[in-house]
Amino acid sequence: MKPLLTLLLLPVVGAGVILLLPAARARIVALLAASATLAMTLWLSAGFVSTHGELQLLEKTLWRPQSGSHFALGVDGLAMPMLLLAALLSLVAILASGGIRERIKPYHILLLLLEAAMIGVFMAQDWTIFYIFWELTLLPLFFLINTFGGKQRNRAALNFVLYTMGGSVFMLIALLLAFDASHVHSFLMQEMAAGLRGLSTEHQILIFAGFLIGFGVKMPIFPLHGWLPLAHVEAPSPVSILLSGALLKMGSYGLIRAAIMLPDAVLALQGLLATLAFINLIHGGVLAWKQIDLKGMIAYSSVSHMGVVLLGIATLNHDGITGAMLQMVSHGLTAGAMFLIIGLLYERTHTRDIRAYGSLIRVAPRMAFFVALAFMASVGVPGTSGFIAELHVMLAGLQRWGWPAALVSVGMLVSAAYAVRTVGCLCTGPEQPKLPVITPMGRLELAAAGILAAGIVLLGFLPAPLLNLMEASLNRFGDLFAARL
Amino acid sequence: MSWPDGWILIPLLPLLAALWIGVGMLTGGRVGEAGERGTARIALFAVGGSLLALLLLDLMALIQGPPGHRIYFPWLVSGEFRVTVSLLLDRPGLFMATLSAAGCLVTLRFSVEYLHREAGFHRFFAILSLFAGGMLTIALAGNLVITFIGWELAGLASYLLISYMRDRATAAENATRAFVTNRFGDAGLLLAMAMAVMWGAGLEWPELFLASHQHLSPPVPIVAFGLVIAALAKSAQLPFSAWIARALEGPTPSSAVFYGALMAHAGIFLVIRAEPLLWHAPVLMALLLLLGMLTAVFASAIGRVQTDVKSALIYATLAQLGLMFAACGAGYFDLALWHLVAHASWRLYQFLLSPSYLHLGEGAVRPVPEWLGQSHDLYNLALHRGWLDTLTDALITRPTMALARDARMFEELVINRMAGRPLRETLLAARAEWNDFSTVVEGSGIGVAGGRGMFGRVLERAALVLSWIEEQFVLKSSGDGLVKVLAFLGSYLTRAEQSLGETRYLILMIVLTFLIIL
Repeated sequence: MKPLLTLLLLPVVGAGVILLLPAARARIVALLAASATLAMTLWLSAGFVSTHGELQLLEKTLWRPQSGSHFALGVDGLAMPMLLLAALLSLVAILASGGIRERIKPYHILLLLLEAAMIGVFMAQDWTIFYIFWELTLLPLFFLINTFGGKQRNRAALNFVLYTMGGSVFMLIALLLAFDASHVHSFLMQEMAAGLRGLSTEHQILIFAGFLIGFGVKMPIFPLHGWLPLAHVEAPSPVSILLSGALLKMGSYGLIRAAIMLPDAVLALQGLLATLAFINLIHGGVLAWKQIDLKGMIAYSSVSHMGVVLLGIATLNHDGITGAMLQMVSHGLTAGAMFLIIGLLYERTHTRDIRAYGSLIRVAPRMAFFVALAFMASVGVPGTSGFIAELHVMLAGLQRWGWPAALVSVGMLVSAAYAVRTVGCLCTGPEQPKLPVITPMGRLELAAAGILAAGIVLLGFLPAPLLNLMEASLNRFGDLFAARL
Repeated sequence: MSWPDGWILIPLLPLLAALWIGVGMLTGGRVGEAGERGTARIALFAVGGSLLALLLLDLMALIQGPPGHRIYFPWLVSGEFRVTVSLLLDRPGLFMATLSAAGCLVTLRFSVEYLHREAGFHRFFAILSLFAGGMLTIALAGNLVITFIGWELAGLASYLLISYMRDRATAAENATRAFVTNRFGDAGLLLAMAMAVMWGAGLEWPELFLASHQHLSPPVPIVAFGLVIAALAKSAQLPFSAWIARALEGPTPSSAVFYGALMAHAGIFLVIRAEPLLWHAPVLMALLLLLGMLTAVFASAIGRVQTDVKSALIYATLAQLGLMFAACGAGYFDLALWHLVAHASWRLYQFLLSPSYLHLGEGAVRPVPEWLGQSHDLYNLALHRGWLDTLTDALITRPTMALARDARMFEELVINRMAGRPLRETLLAARAEWNDFSTVVEGSGIGVAGGRGMFGRVLERAALVLSWIEEQFVLKSSGDGLVKVLAFLGSYLTRAEQSLGETRYLILMIVLTFLIIL
């Protein structure tokens, strides 16, 4: 029995079953498959030993001896939270897909395949299959955006794929360079990392630059974020949940893996990374403030929040990387919740213009509650997951750079500005007579929003279980750089 | 680990009941007379369950001795700093917890009839359950943080209960007064916690006791001092006595039960809990003795001139509490504990009976005793309750308000101008402004990104610049630019392809190929 392979195949099997059954059954099968995947992930995380940072549940078979590629799956403290997040958000996305009425079968098949590819990325322990799964996420996404998206869907889909492929090319070159330089004749992450230890800093920087561009497109890092606003706005809301909640995390996750492989390069580029992070934070926040389109606003706020993640990574200490991981999880939940509710609102009103809304607290109190909670969490109000994450990053920044790190609070101020503005415009103010009657949330939609809200609040009050899960792996990361500083 | 570990449910059950009733009220499920039975049942079952568990625990403690300190799980860990969820199930804790649970249960049962068809029936039961949870948490808390949480829960519940008649202005004011006075006590607890952490002794009670025995460093008295301040404020000893008379505003007699029988005793319990620390602070012990005696005399004098039953009872309670503090000050902690339990039980009975005293009382009210009636000054003092309220007003309330006025001036003249808020915001003005705002927005096309004040204007400028950069460089040139370059290359290649198909180029290619081969 290979648990990780089973986990990978669960959504694929679900997609296969949907293919065989009539369209009326597609939704229920997809829900079952996603639930089963989530249940299995939870089961795996319960059995996860958090006391050491070694890879666990490793399944390794030699795949192509000529190139030293292995089909290797495994989890550690970095991968486990991401797996949980991806499985959870996939379920939420499917729960929220009640509004899709046409071409139900291909839609759900594509969603499940996307889930499988994401899980594959987070479990891959060999750069070859990491790259393959990375590229595999593109196909379902392209079709999902191109077929089910908004008015400019074709442009958005093409733009997204071209951008990401462009980034992947750099990543591929970096991988091949690294393979060449490591002299171990293996694409296994650990062996390659060991092989690259003795490499000169200049050489490492060259390789890392490729990774930075490749992952930077996905994450996104300024100025490589051009695809993001368009794709997020045009994608159907459930896909936006996955795109922003889980797929952006592939970028930061990959960056952390690359950082572990090339520590000297990261150390040399620390200032650059921090600067980029700071630009991300401010640029995304200010532009989010300027958006009239609600989905556009959330999209830019994602840029801003991924800036916090990058900053956490750039501190290269234990607290910083903890904050980065926490922020990845927290942003997954909050961005998911925001896209979910805005998507549900859009289904009912057919407008995403922020000015068209008002007084939701009277018209649709439950939605108003979830919107307010999600935005508060994204600002980092104490008691929500965002607070714990931002606090860690902030503390780590102060440890590393002293008072200049306090500049980060400017970014948080900006995020508070747009969050409070948005909640104010949506929930309070006079009722909008032109707004159609908003039907209350259905049971499945309530369940989806409830899961995310519970996660946000639970992590805010009790982050210990998640921290324990990651602790050992994060300690390794911290030690790796503490030895070099 | 021979003891089953479900004891944490004892304080948790009433809290869960409060949550359940509260959520029911919020979602609209619990309203009106029809829901009364259900609400009462939830609260009674929860507190009754806690009491049963406590009795079981008491029995086991009698046979095998109390289970003592147990840590459930870490709640907040950051380096050396560690906060856990823990209980300290020892003799005083079990005494106090059993007393609280029994008292709350009796009060709850009493209120089922007493509050029947009252508008706030459900609210009252939620608050009372919250209070029961808070008291049990104080009694069983294993560390200072948990004690503090219980302390705050009980304080919050009392605030909500004093302002139970929320449409009465006096109720709201008295609730605020009582709440603010209690903040002094919180400051004491926070001081104790901060000192304990700085001192490195840890927050768990047993650790604190152990550390105080091991080295008599100066922080011990400071920790003890913080705890004593908290205790004095909660038990309304001098000089904090004024709040308790105001706390009687809630529905008779259930709220009085809080102050008379249970919450006022939380202070003395804290002192008993901190006994090992106090032994190392003789000055504090003397202070306790002095303040306790003073309060006893003072309160009994006041109590004798009161004409309503609740006030008379509450001052009698204060006098007894004063005696308990004095006993602690003299070192008789065990005596104080027995006194506490006996007095609380008796007072509970009296308070619950108080609405019926008019019927039960026989003959005229006893006159003021001679020693008090003879002395003009003493009588006056008693009648004015020691002018404590006036004193607080003069020394604290009015200076604070003056300070607040100055701050407000600064706010209006400096901060608001910078922040761009309207000078005097009224609801109407805000609404009119909203309308202006939305029409401006419709017209200008800038959208929602209009800023007011300094920060707003800076943000607005930044947004304009950044969005221009975004448009020009990120979206147009790289996003769509990529597509354009591809389209351009594509058309070029198509043309090349087409040309290749023409005969003259074909022949040229063949000739070239031959040339290369040859």
